[in-house]
Amino acid sequence: MRFSEGRGHPVVGTETADTVGKVQRFVVDASQARVVALVLKKTPDKADVLRWADVITFGPDAVTVPSAGLLVEPDGELARLTNKKRSLLGQRVLTDAGDNIGEVDDVDFDPADGSIRHLLTSGGEVDAARLLGLGSYALMVRHS
Amino acid sequence: MTVLMRVTEVSGRPVVTVRGDDVAQVRDVVYGGGNGEVAGFTLAGRGLLAGPLKHGLPWGGVRALGRDAVIIDDESVFQPRDEVIARAQAKGGDVFGSQVLTDDGVELGEVVDVVLDVDEYADVVGYEIDPTEALSKDNKRVLIPLPDTLAVSGERLIVPAAAVDFVTDDLAGFGAAVEAFRDRLRESGSQT
Repeated sequence: MRFSEGRGHPVVGTETADTVGKVQRFVVDASQARVVALVLKKTPDKADVLRWADVITFGPDAVTVPSAGLLVEPDGELARLTNKKRSLLGQRVLTDAGDNIGEVDDVDFDPADGSIRHLLTSGGEVDAARLLGLGSYALMVRHS
Repeated sequence: MTVLMRVTEVSGRPVVTVRGDDVAQVRDVVYGGGNGEVAGFTLAGRGLLAGPLKHGLPWGGVRALGRDAVIIDDESVFQPRDEVIARAQAKGGDVFGSQVLTDDGVELGEVVDVVLDVDEYADVVGYEIDPTEALSKDNKRVLIPLPDTLAVSGERLIVPAAAVDFVTDDLAGFGAAVEAFRDRLRESGSQT
């Protein structure tokens, strides 16, 4: 599934069957090539981050979660990764050979486990196995 | 695969770690050795108001010099600026504005840029010059190949007369011109 498809998915609490929010964006650990959390909008209170570990399923039409009580206000490492500047979309992509290969337009991920499969960049598709990390300047990928 | 690039394009290029953090930008290229190879870079901070940094980047710390950035492993490769400059034979900035003269006494023009051939090492392979009328009628900048043993120095720049036969006007064909010129020098045994 692509980030562009997953965005806007309603997040439903299975215990109460009510909507606890909508997926606004994906929080990624680039060095692990993995989605680690979702930032939601329209949540009942200030806590708006859902850790991937607390997701029951990321389905084709909705995300399920036991209850709204699992939403958190991020701290520590998760807070750092949740920073908007660390969002993958729009990020400059640089190879370790020092060449700019474009910007991230979209990301293809596995909804079963949150692993990132491909980056879709303006310069073409980049396999997630090439990901090195995300810094202040660019998302680094191994030179192909 | 080697890549040709102009020194003026390298200046200002960000220095980025493999983790993607920009930690400096290139200020000047420092040349060393007898073959005009790049010994390292002096650095400036990132951002509009940032000035020169006290540390420099020796070539040995460069993981890659790419079209868009200089890649390093991390900031531990930096060395005091003065140590990086101490390795230099002459600073690259010195050749800008120098007159290029052939060994048979023809003024070719003034150096406006330096062309590097970047691979495992970065070597100076040519100058871009603002030509005199002797070389070009239309005043357009041209690229002139250099022998591979020519040191980059601030003195008057003297090139073999044969270089005139291998002048090109774009980088695309320049790599081949440099090779052909150097082959010619080897054949004639006139290389110094």
